[in-house]
Amino acid sequence: MSDNPSFVLKSILDAEIQQKPVPEIEANEILVEVKKTGICGTDVHFLVHGSVGDFIVEKPMVLGHESAGVVSKVGPGVTNVKVGDRVAMEPAATCRKCEACKEGRYQICPDIICAATPPTDGTLTRYYRLPSDLAYPLPPSLSLEDGALMEPLSVAVHAVSKLGALRSNQSVAVFGCGPVGLLCMAVAKALGASRVIAVDIIPDRLEFAKTYAATDTFLPPSIDKGESGVTFSIRNAQAMKEKLSITEHGSRAIDLVLDASGAEVAIQTGIRIAKSGGTFVQVGIGNRDITIDMFAVLCKELVLRGSFRYGPGDYSLAIALVASGKVDVKSLVSHRFPFTQACEAFEITRNGKSPDGKGVIKVMISGPDVDINEV
Amino acid sequence: MVLGHEAAGVVSKVGSRVTNVKVGDRVAMEPGATCRKCEACKEGRYQLCPDVIFAATPPTDGTLARYYRLPSDLAYPLPPNLSLEDGAMMEPLSVAVHAVSNLGALRSNQSVAVFGCGPVGLLCMAVAKALGASRVIAVDIVPSRLEFAKAYAATDIFLPPPMEKDESRVEFSMRNAQAMKEKLGIADRGSQAIDLVLDASGAEVSIQTGIRIVKSGGTYVQVGMGNPNVNIDMFVVICKELVLKGSFRYGPGDYPLAIALATSGKVDVKPLVSHRFPFTQAREAFETTRNGKSPDGKGVIKAIISGPDVDINEA
Repeated sequence: MSDNPSFVLKSILDAEIQQKPVPEIEANEILVEVKKTGICGTDVHFLVHGSVGDFIVEKPMVLGHESAGVVSKVGPGVTNVKVGDRVAMEPAATCRKCEACKEGRYQICPDIICAATPPTDGTLTRYYRLPSDLAYPLPPSLSLEDGALMEPLSVAVHAVSKLGALRSNQSVAVFGCGPVGLLCMAVAKALGASRVIAVDIIPDRLEFAKTYAATDTFLPPSIDKGESGVTFSIRNAQAMKEKLSITEHGSRAIDLVLDASGAEVAIQTGIRIAKSGGTFVQVGIGNRDITIDMFAVLCKELVLRGSFRYGPGDYSLAIALVASGKVDVKSLVSHRFPFTQACEAFEITRNGKSPDGKGVIKVMISGPDVDINEV
Repeated sequence: MVLGHEAAGVVSKVGSRVTNVKVGDRVAMEPGATCRKCEACKEGRYQLCPDVIFAATPPTDGTLARYYRLPSDLAYPLPPNLSLEDGAMMEPLSVAVHAVSNLGALRSNQSVAVFGCGPVGLLCMAVAKALGASRVIAVDIVPSRLEFAKAYAATDIFLPPPMEKDESRVEFSMRNAQAMKEKLGIADRGSQAIDLVLDASGAEVSIQTGIRIVKSGGTYVQVGMGNPNVNIDMFVVICKELVLKGSFRYGPGDYPLAIALATSGKVDVKPLVSHRFPFTQAREAFETTRNGKSPDGKGVIKAIISGPDVDINEA
């Protein structure tokens, strides 16, 4: 195929399929024919608000970054993949030369080129150009949809395994039962957590988490009229500790807390339920200005870590966890759309459910001319 | 409750089995006795022991007394070149060592910014300098405190602009961080980036500014206690993959390192003693500390109260 239909964000709430030039590849790069792309909350946020934090869309941009495909062309010097290979695509090319890249933290490279982060075009297109080392061959047991889910799974691996440094038998609480939260729970379980507590305000999402990877669930009480977030979080943490027998020290303490919701009251509650000396990892992006109880952070000597995308080793571990059966990603695909219905796919994701009432977890968009049932 | 916890004294009596000190030894006193048996104690973080018995933290009586009872391993003999006042200063210096060296993991040639030029902030700067920091930036809103920091341990100082009428703290902190970066040539990455930021002020705008000026991938240590509820920019924390650590008192190895730094002359605690009072004037000592300066206008850094019947000039 010589054409390259792409799903372009033109301006707020205005996206359509347009032709884009087929990218030229250079040495050590490959061209991937994108087969499956999952929709992420940040894609939706760009569509609806034109920005995510300091990332602002200033010109039309192709959306999508959670993808897998088939290698279509390889440049000189490429040895790790060949034409026809099914690959997961790590969508962020970094400079290799700066301090961050060299010291093993390429995720904070200042010159990172990340699909669907302005101004870089994303993967909702036919052909995507990628450095070859960012293409990971998929084992036979993984479908292309599984491959697309390696991106959010790598986010979870980075947060839980890399930054959270979770060890076997530790206990974990995850706030937010969206795809990233669910995958954090799955990684925690796969790495041997003794307890994986899921928290969400939507009962259906908690139900799903319980069947998927959580050992315990907690539904926060409703916030009282006029109650401040701080007061609520104190009450919420207390209720959570009582219901789940959580303590600050010892075997009932929570070693690692992750927030995958971005919600202030979740973050405040999470800080209160983390054990003395525990770790809190912030992976969910929400409102930027968050009030936290610094006294709790200080007296418990908490370590609060911001988690941004994924770094060295995360994609490989993600693929290994799925290939070995320790993590199942298939259950998270709730909806599938052909490329021509990308607009509807985003609409459904934004609504949180399809017209038939089914709740959204991960919506998958197939590549141009790819059947939605093709694995 | 008896007050006081930053103390040094002379061993008056030893129980059976005490081997590390003898009667008559001058010692710095680490005022937090822990249980030794819980997970925190055994894993090397005794500062988090839930059953800690800490001088002048309710309900435990403090050290502003003639006699104080202490587990012997929490008494550190003072080398001949450290005075008893130096010994008392080992407590706040250990807080600084814990924050900068232990939690901050400061390495030689890294750069540091410290918000708040009170005793703990100043001592954090001194520890940073002693451990080989290439740059030690002091920030305070009181010019005379900044001047002192510059003479004491800071390589650079920064006086924040005043807050504007109707300006929110968030807006102020963005403006403040921008001004600080411009004035001091601070970058987000590379050799002009700030590796480690400590807040020893507890002030929300300092904390917000600190998070903005620390480098991408940097460490931020909270040692100052202020208003518990602090509003921070979580997006910055995420995108820069910051590590934010709460620092509480001191743990294994901090007192010995503090004493070693003072003994070797790498850190000088003497300039921080601004006021001295006899025991009988303890009340005035607290009043002066509370006012921030004595009636003669001299600013307070550290006020030292001598023990009962101890002359204020006895070293």
